[in-house]
Amino acid sequence: MAAAPTSVTIRMYNVGFGDCFLLTFNYPRTARHMLVDYGSTSAPKHVPKTGKNSNYMERVAKDIEAVCEGKLDVVVATHRHRDHISGFSTAAGTGKIIASLKPRYVIQPWTEDPRAKVNAMSATASVYTSGKADPKQMTAHFLGSLQDMHSVAESITRLAARQDLAGSQTLKQLHFLGEDNIKNASAVRNLMEMGRRGKAYYVSAGMKLNVLPGVKCTVLGPPTIQQSNAIRRQRSRDPDNFWQFRAFWGAQNFAMRKPLPAAGVKPRKSRVRALPPSVRWFVEQSRQIHAAQLLGLVRDLDSVMNNTSVILLLEVGKHKILLPGDAQIENWAYALSRPEWAQLLRDVNLYKVGHHGSLNATPKPLWSLFRNKGAPGKQGRLGTLCSTKAGKHGSISSGTEVPRKTLVEELKKASTFVSSEGAKERFCSEVQLVFAQ
Amino acid sequence: MTYRPTRKLTVLALDPSVKDGKRILRTQIEVPNELLEAGPRGYRVFVVDYDSSADSYRKPAPARRTSRNPTRVPVDPFQDATDTELLGSYEFRAFMTYGIVMKTLAQFEFALGRRLSWSFGSHQIQVSPHAFADANAFYSDRAQGLFFGYFPSSDGKRTIYTCLSHEIVAHETTHALLDGLRERYTDPSSPQQAGFHEGFADIVALLSILSAQSIVAKVIDLGLPAARRGLIRRASVSLAALKNSGLLGLAQEMGSELAGVHGHALRRSVSLPPSKDYLTSGSCDEPHACGEVLVAAVLNAYLTIWVDRLRDIGDGTHLDRKRAAEEGAELADHLLNVCIRAIDYCPPTDIEFSDFASALLTVDAELNPADAKYALREHLLSAFTSYGIFPTSKGGAERQKGSWDPPPEKSVFLYDRTHFENMKSDPDELFRFLWENRVAFKLQNDAHTRVLSVRPCTRIGRDGFTLRETVAEYHQQLKLYARELSRLGIRRPPDMPPETEVILYGGNAVIFDEYGHIKYNIGKSIMDTTRQSARLAYLWDHGGFAPGAGKDRAFSRLHVRRATDWYRSVAGNYSPEYQE
Repeated sequence: MAAAPTSVTIRMYNVGFGDCFLLTFNYPRTARHMLVDYGSTSAPKHVPKTGKNSNYMERVAKDIEAVCEGKLDVVVATHRHRDHISGFSTAAGTGKIIASLKPRYVIQPWTEDPRAKVNAMSATASVYTSGKADPKQMTAHFLGSLQDMHSVAESITRLAARQDLAGSQTLKQLHFLGEDNIKNASAVRNLMEMGRRGKAYYVSAGMKLNVLPGVKCTVLGPPTIQQSNAIRRQRSRDPDNFWQFRAFWGAQNFAMRKPLPAAGVKPRKSRVRALPPSVRWFVEQSRQIHAAQLLGLVRDLDSVMNNTSVILLLEVGKHKILLPGDAQIENWAYALSRPEWAQLLRDVNLYKVGHHGSLNATPKPLWSLFRNKGAPGKQGRLGTLCSTKAGKHGSISSGTEVPRKTLVEELKKASTFVSSEGAKERFCSEVQLVFAQ
Repeated sequence: MTYRPTRKLTVLALDPSVKDGKRILRTQIEVPNELLEAGPRGYRVFVVDYDSSADSYRKPAPARRTSRNPTRVPVDPFQDATDTELLGSYEFRAFMTYGIVMKTLAQFEFALGRRLSWSFGSHQIQVSPHAFADANAFYSDRAQGLFFGYFPSSDGKRTIYTCLSHEIVAHETTHALLDGLRERYTDPSSPQQAGFHEGFADIVALLSILSAQSIVAKVIDLGLPAARRGLIRRASVSLAALKNSGLLGLAQEMGSELAGVHGHALRRSVSLPPSKDYLTSGSCDEPHACGEVLVAAVLNAYLTIWVDRLRDIGDGTHLDRKRAAEEGAELADHLLNVCIRAIDYCPPTDIEFSDFASALLTVDAELNPADAKYALREHLLSAFTSYGIFPTSKGGAERQKGSWDPPPEKSVFLYDRTHFENMKSDPDELFRFLWENRVAFKLQNDAHTRVLSVRPCTRIGRDGFTLRETVAEYHQQLKLYARELSRLGIRRPPDMPPETEVILYGGNAVIFDEYGHIKYNIGKSIMDTTRQSARLAYLWDHGGFAPGAGKDRAFSRLHVRRATDWYRSVAGNYSPEYQE
């Protein structure tokens, strides 16, 4: 039995908009490696668009291969967003490199479990079994909703290609969010396959994993349907409320795939003159409203997907590392509702900033727990790591830009903040944490 | 010259899934008669059939079915159509949407005794019956229109058109009309103000459906099966039967797919048991859940009165089914008028359900002082209190309990510097009156004050003569930095940064009698420190100051949030996000 690790080196690869962290735990005689996410939806700024250096993801894969000397111990895919798992795709080749490192353990959220039952929406479907709300049915329907969301995202991405639908800013966001939420079949398959060859953990809040010697690994999220139901507001526990959510996404999916046949005039922008003058203004308004609706929809489903994120708390002695993926408040709420976990979270030493620094992935009740915040020079000051790229997600005008300026300011003020982007863009940022004996 | 102010139009009584035997249940509504252009396009409603999902514009059918001869009554184009013809017709969907919007508008104008304006500048609201492939329908003031989406049924075999739901069209039209009457009700305030828009729209939609005899007859058939042909056994008449089998049965027949768009207003309001702490326990802070409490109170009052009426008619053992339906429909219509009329007696900002309760009681006491037939006020008061809605005003001695009081005698208003004849329609004249009387009106001098509307309205007085009253509303708005709040005695929410900009609202509805004297002065003072402190605390805790929060208030987003509320409901006790 190997002793506890003496330190950990965290490599935050610059993957542009995405996450890729390699944690190397250094033991007296050996080292063990844990890869947390490997995805990107937008190249880092320093990467050329063409030429041999343009394939930054392959460079990352090869570096991981070199650092871990051909053997990965743990792979964590926090959730199935493209910016977290695209690298695992075998179609791009990078997924094969990771698979060749034969990870022993593959950790994914319970929503990815291939054995789980998935219910499609149908006229007779229900969440009741012999008159009672059945958590198993609800779970299967929740998974069905996630599938519908992938399809909705696909439809929206297709619509975003229609240049006349909206202004360029809206189109850009529609396209970006749409693509991030399209089902990433090849990566999903590869992760499942790696799990099958090693050992797959499909985790939910409360599980304790024994994957690295001397490292306590607690899963704080995502909660199961039963767990999250337990902390819902009274009236929302009504199964009909759940059913409305289910029906909504089912209907959205159906709706987008089957618009009415086009009839009459197709008033493409250039042909707006084909319309009677009395309706031109309203048609323009209708288009804008429709685009805004689609954006709302894709943002909603993006949040639901973010909230399937695995939240891991790694503990070595008194040291704690918090890896929350892209979890937002709906995922966090369960962990924060448990006083013993809130207690654990108080002295986190290193925090991977949730969702690339977006405003709603570092919930205030979480941030206010951290005790190691403080001015530079504070003993054992909190470290924060943020993998992000500005100008891709959200907008400054609505105060939803990622990373959120005000959050970054706060992180800089109260913690030792390392971001993947900055004045000096690097291929990889390294942070080391030494565990006191 | 012939006199033909109205015409008839066949529409679906509820939606395509509610049947009368094998045929879809229909109703013939009466709408203002007008010479329609193709669309249909009339003096208040303009149907534009543009579908943004398919990006296609459908030219309207020529206006051939409506007579060009104004001396003839236009034919009802769909009176004899079969179900298949109705469901397959784009033209019918356009006409049904037009018809229900017009009927709802006419109902408001009838109740208020005056013309209504939309909140935007235009006279005609634009209505899109096939707006997009989306399980959604909403009103947008920015686009000056109503949008009704469509989507395939879950088996993929049919298309569900939200414009074919009587309830949905009436609900969305009510949002537009209420926005025209009280434009500040969409401001960020309390959960009740947000809930009021939804709740009121549901009340109007449900009562408007129940004012169709064919629907009430259906409710009776479900709840009180006829013993003999056309006769109901008196012993079977009970509140529980009409509620649980009648209305709930109807709710279950309604297109379940539409629930994904609009929730289950009918089902919820019938099944929500009375409890006094929904509104105080924090469990109904979400706007729709909050609105449902109001709907439940009104619908329960409706049911109790109806059952009372049924006990009064018929012979010792039986009562006539048709007569029972008539009673139900007539009562719905009456209650609907009172509810609409009550808006004139509601404060223009920061409305709470208890204000609406006082407004209802005042209006009904004015309109039907004897109240012998329905005992409406007694029933309303008891239904409201059973749901924890206690009228804002206690009601002075010798006045209806819970109704608004006239301004205290000691408040002296100066009438000699303005002309009442002008004040009836001229906002500038009315503003002068306000300004001259700023002490009596307790105006905040630093705030921006604006007259939102001045409208004359008529009604029949107790003696049968026509009464002409004037309804005006004004609004005050004060923009401050959080640090300035304490100077005004308002509490700054803990951890709200001092430089945060906050906006306070206040304002009154003023009713002038036929002599130009103030009869009622109903409102929310901008200087009510308790209310302002509570409002800011609520908004701060619920992300009302978070970036982008204002944009979420659009009705299109609200409906999506209702449908997906289950998902967010875990976050109820937490501020949703990192706040700076």
